Amino acid sequence: MARILVADDASFMRQMIREIVESEGHEVVAEASDGVEAIDQYRTHQPDVVTMDIVMPRRSGIDAVKGILELDAGACVVMCSALGQESLVTEALQAGAKDFIVKPFKPDAVIQTLGKVLEKEDL
Amino acid sequence: MAKYRDVFLEEATDHLAEMSRALLDLEKDPRRVEAIDVLFRMAHSIKGMAASLEYASIAEVAHLLEDRMQEIRSAARLGGPEDLALLFRGLEGLECMVAVVRETGEPPPPDPELAAALSAASAAEAETDPKKA
Repeated sequence: MARILVADDASFMRQMIREIVESEGHEVVAEASDGVEAIDQYRTHQPDVVTMDIVMPRRSGIDAVKGILELDAGACVVMCSALGQESLVTEALQAGAKDFIVKPFKPDAVIQTLGKVLEKEDL
Repeated sequence: MAKYRDVFLEEATDHLAEMSRALLDLEKDPRRVEAIDVLFRMAHSIKGMAASLEYASIAEVAHLLEDRMQEIRSAARLGGPEDLALLFRGLEGLECMVAVVRETGEPPPPDPELAAALSAASAAEAETDPKKA
């Protein structure tokens, strides 16, 4: 089971993701409400996976992906995007994010995407 | 979903208050980038939460506001007093819809006039912006 960092500026979304991943036995080791905090929490907890919102204050999710990959080139980040953010998702994937999940979250889709990423990363 | 509704109400209320403050800042200075950013992010966040709870009318207005703020963000300033008035109207519309959720626990009805006004503003922007034509 994976150790997960959940980064989203909305506590509503963090709570939803937490419940979905915990229902599958994963552990949420930390939460972050902006891009700067996401990088700090990554440094502190070294999670297996990060779920990263794109639109966040201080540093965007895409900036935070870049910051995390500077700390750990092997970091596994999954973007959380809304419909209409396709170009931002592409930018995040080019920056090194492994995959993405679309809001509103569908538990099956979240679990499936995380499972796929974890398997690929051999975690 | 009741517990998520409570979280939504709390967070949406905070976001709407922040949007209100940002609009007042923009009224004083139409180029205030921080206020434009706040409005964009708060509309985006409300859209996501409302869509998760299937409050389609809130998600629609928040989405249209987000789109309008994205255009304003690209232009780095408000279009004019009509733009500000429309954004205040959008905020008021969202406040009314959130109030319906608070009072009834049900999804609020759509506001087609508001949605049309926000869509029309974006369409007008696209016509005057050669990059979008």
